[in-house]
Amino acid sequence: MKLPSVNLKSFLAKNGIFFALVLLIVFFTILNPRFMSTSNALNVVLQVAELGIVALPLALLMISGSVDLSVGSIASAAAVNSALVMSATGSTVLGIAVGLAFGIAAGALNGFLVAYLGLNPIVVTLGFLSVWGGYAMMVTGGRTVTRRELPETFQGFGTATVGPFPVRMLLLILVVAAVWYVLNRHRVGRETYAIGGSERAARLMGVNVRRVRFGLFAATGLASALAGIMLGAKVQSVSPAVGLNLEMNALTVALLGGVAFAGGVGRVGGVLAGLLFFGVMRNGLVFLQASPFLQTIIVGLTLVVAVALDESIQKIVKQSWATRGKAVLDASIEAGGDPGDPSTPLAGEPQRLGAGKH
Amino acid sequence: MHATQSRPESGEDDLRLQLDNLSVEFGATRALDGVSLSVAAGEIVGLLGHNGAGKSTLFNVLSGVYAASSGEFIVDGAPAPGKLTPQEASKLGITVIHQEPALAPNLSILDNMFLGQGLRRSTGQRERARCALTEVGSDLDLDLMVDALSLGERQLVDLARGFLTGDMKMLLLDEPTAALGRAETESLHALIRQLAKRGVTVIYVSHRLPDILDVCERILVLRSGQLVVDGATDSFTGRTLAQALAPGMADEEFVPARVQVGAGCLDSNGISVAAGEVVGLFGMAAGEQFSFLAGLFGLDGHGRFSWNGEDVDIASPEAAVRWGIHLVPADRENDGLVSGASALDTVFLPWLRQLPGRGWWVGPAVGKGTYAEARKQLNILGPGADAPIDEFSGGNRQKHLLSRWMFPRQPRVLLLAQPTQGVDVGAKQDIATAVRGLATQGVAVLVASAESDEIAQLCDRSYVMYGGSRSEVPRGPEFSGDLVSTLLQLSDAVRPMEGVSR
Repeated sequence: MKLPSVNLKSFLAKNGIFFALVLLIVFFTILNPRFMSTSNALNVVLQVAELGIVALPLALLMISGSVDLSVGSIASAAAVNSALVMSATGSTVLGIAVGLAFGIAAGALNGFLVAYLGLNPIVVTLGFLSVWGGYAMMVTGGRTVTRRELPETFQGFGTATVGPFPVRMLLLILVVAAVWYVLNRHRVGRETYAIGGSERAARLMGVNVRRVRFGLFAATGLASALAGIMLGAKVQSVSPAVGLNLEMNALTVALLGGVAFAGGVGRVGGVLAGLLFFGVMRNGLVFLQASPFLQTIIVGLTLVVAVALDESIQKIVKQSWATRGKAVLDASIEAGGDPGDPSTPLAGEPQRLGAGKH
Repeated sequence: MHATQSRPESGEDDLRLQLDNLSVEFGATRALDGVSLSVAAGEIVGLLGHNGAGKSTLFNVLSGVYAASSGEFIVDGAPAPGKLTPQEASKLGITVIHQEPALAPNLSILDNMFLGQGLRRSTGQRERARCALTEVGSDLDLDLMVDALSLGERQLVDLARGFLTGDMKMLLLDEPTAALGRAETESLHALIRQLAKRGVTVIYVSHRLPDILDVCERILVLRSGQLVVDGATDSFTGRTLAQALAPGMADEEFVPARVQVGAGCLDSNGISVAAGEVVGLFGMAAGEQFSFLAGLFGLDGHGRFSWNGEDVDIASPEAAVRWGIHLVPADRENDGLVSGASALDTVFLPWLRQLPGRGWWVGPAVGKGTYAEARKQLNILGPGADAPIDEFSGGNRQKHLLSRWMFPRQPRVLLLAQPTQGVDVGAKQDIATAVRGLATQGVAVLVASAESDEIAQLCDRSYVMYGGSRSEVPRGPEFSGDLVSTLLQLSDAVRPMEGVSR
């Protein structure tokens, strides 16, 4: 088709994170050949399992034009709740159930305030970041629920496997599949893109904007609670700060993965690539024996760079639509037919609502 | 007519402005198409035309916002450079007054007058501001805050700015009386006549025909970027002027609707529309006809109307769609379309919940058949079903918006807000055919518009709405003109006696 430079630019803008991921892996491998190994690859995935479980539903919420900054504290509070129930009753199942129920409730509360009362999501969830963080500290008195207080079944949870696969990895895959299904094959996914693209237009289409947004907040709360409980099981003790910085890291992953902070744009594949990029970067820095403080600095810088890229990427993609649309129309006038007709080879780039944009 | 006949001493043949075959192009569209005219010093000229006829473009060329693509533009016998900057325009003595004065409300009159003029603060500036205000016949205190002023007073301050930079030669007024009461309008007109006596050329744009007839000596009408009428005010009446603005459409193609009252009839606040009928709601730009449609759709609170005598209560847009009342909003880009959505989703998104299982599995091919059918019905051109809607041209985007609400599911009541605005003639025809076709299948259609031609092209009859009052206009040979003159009568009857602001 005409204007290859525009198309190439927009292709690179949409898929930049995949190239960046490959480059990063090559970079660390050159510095340390042992980096590229199956065991280290599995290591990377397991290190970011909980982060991914939070980042994917958060990405869904961000595509709808909202954001939840309280995920880290919800994770901590849920983990603490379930740990206290477990140590009091000795029942792992009851403890996990209470933790997850708390997560749904905390998410639903965010959702109620944002979707039904129309409060600003950033401010509301920033408030609850503090509320639930303080709550977790208060109910534990700031001390960690130690291994001896937790049931044995819970202690085994962190290292359990099904066949050759670690349960934590399977849970990540489950969440990825669920988010992919909602976004790409369920009506609510199309509605989510529409709400993020233009809330008013979605409402005028008869979409129940409030209900969708409420549901996405509740789902994000549930996923955060799951991640918090898993983080506790991983180290076999539950600290009230177990979810510290989770919101920051999840936001970075989603933005790296091409989710627009303004909403309406994002893909599951991109967020996965962002997650792996984040995991590889952390893991690689450990390999290079970088100071943990430096790691924190680099994560922060990555977030800023991701936001900067977000803006310019959206601009490039919008430009490419305009030029390509004009090229197609001109060609159709020359050919005297409708290029959208499937029998003509000129049809534009395949694209479902939001699916191909970045 | 109160038009001044006297001319300045400088002589009758003193041409202030000459346009010779002036054209302005934006891409493929010609906003101005070979306009030639000349205006004498001290003449007051009324400029009329529909939205998009080229009035604002002409103003923007004269004030240096746009460059002319071709043609000459001569001020006081000297050709103006190809592209004026706004500063050069103001040096030439050209002043533009907009409907809303461009003043900062939190600053004093004095500060506002020198704002953005590129003038240094100096000790003499109070004197100069004082003189400029005297020129427009005002003795307002220079230290008053602008937000304490009425709209009429703000316009005076805006006008006075034109005298700061030197001699005012040409005054361009864009809808100056749209928000003024009768008394303020009359004092503005008196001022305009005074300025004209002193040799200022005035070009006056207004939708209010009585205002134009009151103050202007000559009337120009633009249509689609071309100058179609140029004549002395005395040769027009309100009615002939309305016809000049909106000449009757080709009525012979119009097939009247077969009203199917038994199939359904909507009644709300004195507006009724039966199944099979296309009824217009005509009013001012951004007028109440649009909020009437939004009200029926349940957009701002509950929409209440009666259907076949039974009361219907629409709680939300979602409920409206469920009941079968569909709205095509006027603001296509913000209220209608979602940027980045595929063409298919643009048409099919509201209908996913009607799929088996309320849309629990939406495969890539879902809705493609319906989409292809809609595309054929409305003659949509452009990329394929999977391309983002942004890749389509404006007219084809509008057709997508219409097909969303017309074809996947047939509505009981279809509400259209300016369905053919901003699209070319061919697309207008396609849309009209499709809307008329849907009506014959027993759909009740309401069309809200601020353009009489649009109503005339689509509707069997129309209501005219202004200031809470409404009157019905039947389809006649001069339908479009009848609508404009009815709106004129209504707007004159309910015009406020005093200023609306303060």
